[in-house]
Amino acid sequence: MTGDEPLALEVRDLVVRFGSRAALVGVSFRVRAGEFVALVGPNGSGKTTLLRTALGFLQPSEGHARIFGDRVEELTPLERARRVAWVPQDEPMRDNVPLLDYVAYGRYAHRGMLEGESVGDRRLALRLLDEVGLGARAADGVLSVSGGERQRAILARALAQEPRLLLLDEPTTHLDIGHQLDLLGRVRALSRSRGVTVVAALHDLNLAARFAGRLVVLSHGRRVADGPPTEVLSEDLLARVWGVSADLERDRRTGLPYLVPHQITVTAPRTFPSPFVGPVHVVGGGGAAAPILRGLSEQGYRVTAGALHLLDSDAEVAEALGIPSAIESPFAPLGPEVRVQHRTLLAAARAIVIAPFAVGPSNLANLEDLLPYVSQVPTLLVRLPPIAERDFTGGRAEAIVAELRAAGARNVDDLTGVLAALRAELAVSPSAAGVPPPAPA
Amino acid sequence: MDPRGPTDPAPRRSYRWLWLLVAGLPGLAFVSPLFGPTAIPAGVVLQVLGHELTGGLLFPNPCAGASLPDSCSTYFVIVWQIRVPAVLLAIGVGAALGISGGTLQGLFRNPLADPFLLGISSGGTLGAVIVFVFFIGSPQVTAALPLFAFAGALATGLVMLAVARSRVGSVETLLLAGVGLSSLLSSIVAFLLIYNRQASTQITDWLLGSVAGGTWPEVGITFLVLLAVSFLLLLHSRELNLIQLGNDVAQSVGVDPSRVRVRLILLASLATATAVAFAGIIGFVGLVAPHVIRRLVAVDYRAVLAGSLVVGAVFLLAAWDIDLFFAELPIGIFTAFVGVPFFLAILFRRSERSTMGGG
Repeated sequence: MTGDEPLALEVRDLVVRFGSRAALVGVSFRVRAGEFVALVGPNGSGKTTLLRTALGFLQPSEGHARIFGDRVEELTPLERARRVAWVPQDEPMRDNVPLLDYVAYGRYAHRGMLEGESVGDRRLALRLLDEVGLGARAADGVLSVSGGERQRAILARALAQEPRLLLLDEPTTHLDIGHQLDLLGRVRALSRSRGVTVVAALHDLNLAARFAGRLVVLSHGRRVADGPPTEVLSEDLLARVWGVSADLERDRRTGLPYLVPHQITVTAPRTFPSPFVGPVHVVGGGGAAAPILRGLSEQGYRVTAGALHLLDSDAEVAEALGIPSAIESPFAPLGPEVRVQHRTLLAAARAIVIAPFAVGPSNLANLEDLLPYVSQVPTLLVRLPPIAERDFTGGRAEAIVAELRAAGARNVDDLTGVLAALRAELAVSPSAAGVPPPAPA
Repeated sequence: MDPRGPTDPAPRRSYRWLWLLVAGLPGLAFVSPLFGPTAIPAGVVLQVLGHELTGGLLFPNPCAGASLPDSCSTYFVIVWQIRVPAVLLAIGVGAALGISGGTLQGLFRNPLADPFLLGISSGGTLGAVIVFVFFIGSPQVTAALPLFAFAGALATGLVMLAVARSRVGSVETLLLAGVGLSSLLSSIVAFLLIYNRQASTQITDWLLGSVAGGTWPEVGITFLVLLAVSFLLLLHSRELNLIQLGNDVAQSVGVDPSRVRVRLILLASLATATAVAFAGIIGFVGLVAPHVIRRLVAVDYRAVLAGSLVVGAVFLLAAWDIDLFFAELPIGIFTAFVGVPFFLAILFRRSERSTMGGG
């Protein structure tokens, strides 16, 4: 129809329903060949659904997606795989397949039914492993390498398809900040050197603004903004879409927008005056502590929190509730200063609550710093979800939790358990100021 | 010097094991006809084999000019019409069950899947019971039994195929449908047997499986099916590798998982139904063979499928030889006797983290 190069991805009036719920409501946008576009939006805004529809995994009830001019459902699986590749958040790997074989799996669509892997396939796989920095580990199994390395291997496998369009679904979720930057940096470099168009769903707005030339913002299944990060990101948009009020600052070196949320809408009335009991310190991160911070505040406890990262939703809740906290700059590992602050808060605490937060290399210090205090004051360990499921440190966090337990930390199930245990341990109901309940038997 | 560094907890795997098995199979097959309840001099057995295998060119007929021509021709019949077909049937059935097991474990991404997962054993049993209940005492039993068992087994496989083709046919649905269908068929079998006590004793023998009654036509059919099915299954080993990474990833790389599922179920059902028709229900082989390969050789499905074929054959043949050494009992009893100690030895050879996922 037109003489121009076809669009890499064109999504028109896309409606996708799951039962009666509409996950996408008439989304349209176009991605030109060579662009790096980030799909951003809060949880449940439709980012993953959009990608899965573009890949042909989901059938839209209205509208369509085109990949380089053709409707995705009209391409055979092999044709589609030669045009578009996918990097998921994680892959359910069961077998310890050598990395070289694993990357060569990506050549599937380029081989006939009766053809084996050619020497060229192996050579391409090895070159891709080299390009993602895993050339020396080609013989190692996918289960033997670290999470960051595995994610790079997934990227190499996707690139082995020699796709013209690469779709990534929150590829950095399980990575620490160093590996997040590394992976997205490699995606951008490879997309430039190979002329691959990239559309990535990303959670982190700062990362998105840093790597993508353009942001497409989704909210409740609708496209609400679209353009370069400098134009799209505004304090107004953050408030409307994420319910976050934030300062938008500019990175002095890159000129890119950088947001610093300072408050979220929290409806936590502080009806009780500060009780007599000393502060209860909550260790958390990633939103795991938020309900506990809120619940304790509502009950009238004086609460402290730490060590949290700026931008983290626990840090936002703490700030909104006026809870004194030890706060580290976003993404950085907990530094010596913040750890001193955190230990000061711990030393002042009358009780400690350990929220079920995900432990990675950047916040492992939170657990390590607890050890000396556990035997001093009542310490409650919120048990669920189990530590094994949120330990991203290769078992170190799990070991420390076992130590904490041995040193006297008590297991509780949830916020209700925390409140009950605190009432018993501190032998005072903070809300009935001055009237202690009968001591537990 | 521990070869396992901290980054490689998996045991060392090697194709050496597979070549060893491939090399061992013909040798084992060649000596197997020496065993049997009738005492036949080894020389005679080898002469018969030599005569028949070379078409009489290199070895003369051992019975020509023998001092006791009558007993010699009896030996001849026993070796060539009874022992050799049984040996070949053991190889064919073992191989068919092995490769079906490897296919289904890959397809269902479940290490407990086996060739009977799709309700095939219950379907075959129902076919066999119908023969015992309705044809008992009639001369057609021998002919009807394999036919009905095959029909029952394949019919069940086809029902499962229909489930797989339907829109709700996820892997979990299929597993559950197979278990459910098996229960239903077993109930029908139990119902029929309550009214026919005589059939219930005969069905026990059949349920334990046997290759003893193997005939040359059965061997021929088994190997024809095995050849065709194995060739087609091996063509799908790359798809099986990709399916291990989950449906979404497989799809994104260009595999059509639902189409692959339908093909693989059809092929595995066909191979299993053939085995059931001629040898009854022989458990354990299809369950274990793929694990042996995954532990000793490689996790790549090209190796798992080809290897399960060989391991299944060697394993069932070995079980048959040991069975003959003691007494000619139903072979199903011996597969577990022989297999379990061997299997446990491999399982505990080295603790392996890699099959548990994780990371």
